[in-house]
Amino acid sequence: MTEQGERSPFLDLIGGQVEEWREGYVRMALALMPHHTNPHGVMHGGVITSLMDEAVGGVIASVRGIDVMKAAPHATVEMNASFMAGARPGDEIVVEARVLRLGKTVAFAEAEARRRGEDELIAKGRFTFVIVGPRQ
Amino acid sequence: MMDERRRSPFSAFIGTEMEEMRDGYVRLSLRLGPQHTNPNGVMHGGVVTTMMDSALGAALSSVRGDDARRNPHATIEMNASFLSPAFPGDEIVVEGRLLRLGGSVAFGEAEARRRSDERLIAKARLTFAIAGGRGQ
Repeated sequence: MTEQGERSPFLDLIGGQVEEWREGYVRMALALMPHHTNPHGVMHGGVITSLMDEAVGGVIASVRGIDVMKAAPHATVEMNASFMAGARPGDEIVVEARVLRLGKTVAFAEAEARRRGEDELIAKGRFTFVIVGPRQ
Repeated sequence: MMDERRRSPFSAFIGTEMEEMRDGYVRLSLRLGPQHTNPNGVMHGGVVTTMMDSALGAALSSVRGDDARRNPHATIEMNASFLSPAFPGDEIVVEGRLLRLGGSVAFGEAEARRRSDERLIAKARLTFAIAGGRGQ
């Protein structure tokens, strides 16, 4: 992330990219490689949960504003994810995140993951955030 | 101790170590570094969801044995609560326990704690589908 906000070290580590960032919508992508797999040789579920968590955190930041977020960060408190299809090295994963509701102390968002250019969902997640309040 | 790189490439890539794997129980650990953080400088949720998913996948493999290679299991649902933040320097310990292994689905739970004071960091429930299981 550059003008969109702060860099996310863990997103950099796993190789995710921010493709689009505007108020209320964030899209991220990751090219799956052999080191993203589980013991069965398919995408590790943690790759998708990491991307979805990053994308929903980002989309809430896009609505709250970076300055507001830095003064009073939001943090994931609940994640419910469904994994509907597998993915393999060579596939490109695209995750889109949208805000469902932004309240004063909680926020709700969802994320969908697909292979690039395909309609079929590979995963969907619903996330709840708490807005932590001004930093001490 | 099992080589986590050979067992689960993504889990090993982020720095997870396998500490114990026996009948339906797995314990993993990871020392948090700056590369595991989100833009707020705290542990990225994806770190602990990756570890919890890995722990349960392995706990299930420990019971299924060779059958897990012939008919792989895959996470289909994960519900996680993030109870407390963690920071670089903290050591995260994740325990996964198999709750029930059926013919075509399996259920498990995972807890993540900080090693130094056993504070609960996150808790999750996971559901797996078993390929080629009954009813498929």
